[in-house]
Amino acid sequence: MIEVENLSKRFGKTQAVAGLSFRVEPGTITGFLGPNGAGKSTTLRSILGLVHPDAGSTVVLGVPYRKLDRPMHRVGAVLEASEVHPGRTGRNHLRVLAAAAGIPRSRVEEVLSLVELAAGAKRRVKGYSLGMRQRLGLAAALLGDPEVLVLDEPANGLDPAGIRWLRDLLRSLAAEGRTILVSSHVLAEVAQTVDRVVIIHRGRLIQQASIAEVLAGAQGATRVRSPDSGRLRELLAAQGVEVNEGDGVLLAEVPPEQVGELAAANGVVLHELTVESATLEEVFLELTGGETTE
Amino acid sequence: MTASIRSELLKIRTTRGWYGYLAVVVLLAGLAAAGDIGSSEDFRRSLVEFQVGLVDAGGIAALLAIILGITVVTSEFRHGTITPTLLAAPLRERVVGAKAVATLLVSLVFTLLALVVIVAIALVWLSIIDAELHFTDRDVLVRTAQVFLLSVLWGLLGVSIGTIVQSQVAALVGTLIWIFLGETLLIGLFGLIDVGGVDFEGAADYLPFQALDAADGTTDELLSYWKGVAVSLVWIAAIGAAGTERMRRRDIT
Repeated sequence: MIEVENLSKRFGKTQAVAGLSFRVEPGTITGFLGPNGAGKSTTLRSILGLVHPDAGSTVVLGVPYRKLDRPMHRVGAVLEASEVHPGRTGRNHLRVLAAAAGIPRSRVEEVLSLVELAAGAKRRVKGYSLGMRQRLGLAAALLGDPEVLVLDEPANGLDPAGIRWLRDLLRSLAAEGRTILVSSHVLAEVAQTVDRVVIIHRGRLIQQASIAEVLAGAQGATRVRSPDSGRLRELLAAQGVEVNEGDGVLLAEVPPEQVGELAAANGVVLHELTVESATLEEVFLELTGGETTE
Repeated sequence: MTASIRSELLKIRTTRGWYGYLAVVVLLAGLAAAGDIGSSEDFRRSLVEFQVGLVDAGGIAALLAIILGITVVTSEFRHGTITPTLLAAPLRERVVGAKAVATLLVSLVFTLLALVVIVAIALVWLSIIDAELHFTDRDVLVRTAQVFLLSVLWGLLGVSIGTIVQSQVAALVGTLIWIFLGETLLIGLFGLIDVGGVDFEGAADYLPFQALDAADGTTDELLSYWKGVAVSLVWIAAIGAAGTERMRRRDIT
């Protein structure tokens, strides 16, 4: 569906993307994740034929974007919310793009109501909030009813209600069988929506996996509370388990099964036994070396 | 290509600048016509050459055409709209082509509007004072055609300049400076060069805006009319080709 093969791009002294390869499978929502400056936008713009790679190739629906016949009918993209003439109304912005793609005007009204922007459509974009601009961008991407959507940080500038709206919209679009590649520097924004993730850092691939695999890797310490915590601690330590203590709670760096079995075998009473799962954000930070920005 | 041209025309018509252009055309054409007629002696107003001169005032459309041609390209970079434009039409040379055609058509509209204003004022005014009218005279019609062609040339040169400069302010200010300072200095410079008895003064006539001057058909001091048109077209094509190549290579980030 989307294939990125050994992509490299340098801007001046900055190596934006370095030998990046990944695939987006048909009918999936793939989160494209990485800190700011990781090379996400450069990669997406290369896929869309806007940036010329120094090396490597990108293919959408079997061909480079520039070779697509009627591209807006095949691929919809939202890049930056600011790429609209401020003096044009939202409706006219969409009409201009519809004209270029040979899409009838009636479709403009359809996408305006789909993104819930019909009320603001006759206002000039200059007066739009960032959230309204994001909606306008999404409307533009959906004009051609494309089977593939490429979205660069669509949640930027949206308030919590907007992010929830976006999540629901993406889910319903994916349920229609569309392939979606959505980038974000905040894993939590997309974690509930995506099937797979591609994580990059400094222009290189860090991980390409299903969200379930990433979540599995997110398992952390086991939290134990016991009236006999001193003894339990000794038992765990005797097995070479790393244990931290605080607030009458033990944190053992092993799965809960091991702690529970050990306690049962030695008749230690437990009041609590839970998995302290690391947040996705922590996994993300760990994978990308603890840097969120550079 | 037709879709892209339609889109470009819609772009031009859907910003407030459009009404600004039309207002300026009407205003300048009206002022020029009224000024010409008002400041002229009675007997001259009935002459064919006077009425040719009136039509000639429609040439102000050329000024608006070059500004339009430049901004049609550069405003896409200024506002970042080049991204959605290229997503809809990824072949950049086609986008440049569509912009050139749209500019050509709108340049004709500007000229038509200017001429309608001029002729309307002239018809009313000259009828009131009982002057003879020659607006269907061959000389007037030829000049009318020349005025249309002139604005198209200026408009297309604007598109070429826009594609190669790409920054709106630099393109607009640079063009103004070039017209009023650059070419004047070069003309002076060419006048000074004398290599082995061959003088270069005539070479200055081939500068872009000197050629465009010759292509307005009102001067005998520069190239002949058709030579002026041809040299203008060569400049448009050369700058446009270089600009299109720059467009093709540019990373849109």
